[in-house]
Amino acid sequence: MWGQYSYGIFVVMIAAAIAFFALAKERDDLHKLLLIDLVEILSIGIIALLGTDLAEALILPGLTVGIAEQLALTQIYCTKEGIKTKSVKGLNIEVIVKADAPLILSIFLVVYGMILSGFTGGAVAGLGLIVLFISRSYQEDLNLLEMASGISWALWIFAFFVFMFLPEYWFVALMGAAIGILLKVTVKMSLVGTMWGENRD
Amino acid sequence: MKTVISIGGVPSYILEFGDELVYFTPYTITLFLLALTFTVLAIISRPEKQVDIAFGGDAYRTKEISLSEMRFRRFMAIACGLASMGAMVTGDIFNFTLFTAMVGITNVGIVAAVKSPHVQDAAYQYGLVALSATVPLFAGAAVYAAATGSLSMIELMKNTVPAVPFLAKAMLVVGVVGEGMAPFYAAKAEMFRAPGAPYVIMCSLSSLLIFLRVVEVVLLG
Repeated sequence: MWGQYSYGIFVVMIAAAIAFFALAKERDDLHKLLLIDLVEILSIGIIALLGTDLAEALILPGLTVGIAEQLALTQIYCTKEGIKTKSVKGLNIEVIVKADAPLILSIFLVVYGMILSGFTGGAVAGLGLIVLFISRSYQEDLNLLEMASGISWALWIFAFFVFMFLPEYWFVALMGAAIGILLKVTVKMSLVGTMWGENRD
Repeated sequence: MKTVISIGGVPSYILEFGDELVYFTPYTITLFLLALTFTVLAIISRPEKQVDIAFGGDAYRTKEISLSEMRFRRFMAIACGLASMGAMVTGDIFNFTLFTAMVGITNVGIVAAVKSPHVQDAAYQYGLVALSATVPLFAGAAVYAAATGSLSMIELMKNTVPAVPFLAKAMLVVGVVGEGMAPFYAAKAEMFRAPGAPYVIMCSLSSLLIFLRVVEVVLLG
């Protein structure tokens, strides 16, 4: 076990060395940003090598922090290079049969997501809603959805407090957390590509 | 029999919240109070305006800074203070690395709103260093977990777990150094051209506090 882990670490270290070498050679700022993303993956790889439940729990915050830094740097890059924000009006993906196909697909994905529940279920159901939204050039006020996401997130956090303070009600907390995260991820993901931060009048 | 050197002293208070472990020693409480004081100062103090004096004459001019820019920087300084406070009191190695990474982001954020190309460029380059430093930082925490089976600093203190490999400690320190300590600190020099005194001070203070804490962490176990 320890031997396998050492080999794994060794391979990741070689990959890290290659990535850092590329980073040192690169002169273009945008390419550096892209290479940094590759380097970032390796830190997740090292955590994943643990291969335990703990590792799984550590990957998510690690990934979140990495993405947050990446987004911050991207924003600085845009400001630094004077790239102006363009107003984007949705993705407008062309779907041949607008009436039925996206609807059937999204219903299938949402139902399947409900059955899966939890984080994965939320991602699947959210994907279903994205399919629906991008194929129908939706023009509605989505702030309500945003609020629903916030409330379901609060439910998730509340369930965690039940775990901590009233462990005997763990089943209620488990259900609350599962439903909360399902709703939160579904709603958040469905907003990807539909809310662009512009003011809809 | 290995001897454990602890500069933190005996923990006077331990709060175990699942894996959210918080403890106070005389050492960490001092650092925590320092971070708290400076966060409060960042909240209540009024930012200064930078004055440029023309060489060889009497002319001087103050730089105009917009209110929205100052608001954003104050928010980032407070976030930086909160992340530093978290890093001071946490008893979990991985949480410590997360807080350190957060301090790295907020340090960039404090100066990123400044509309000077020099400052922007320096912040970008420093951001690249901070981002690549998360590799040794998280790797260090992962090797801690692999070698000892625990991320709890209390367990490390009790001396009941296997010894932490030197590699893990080295990676943790390299990661912290990359997030804003010397020698990469030099990359920040240009960032300090950013006007607005109390907020820029938060960058250096948070780096100092994180460095003082990591010294305690690597001496455990």
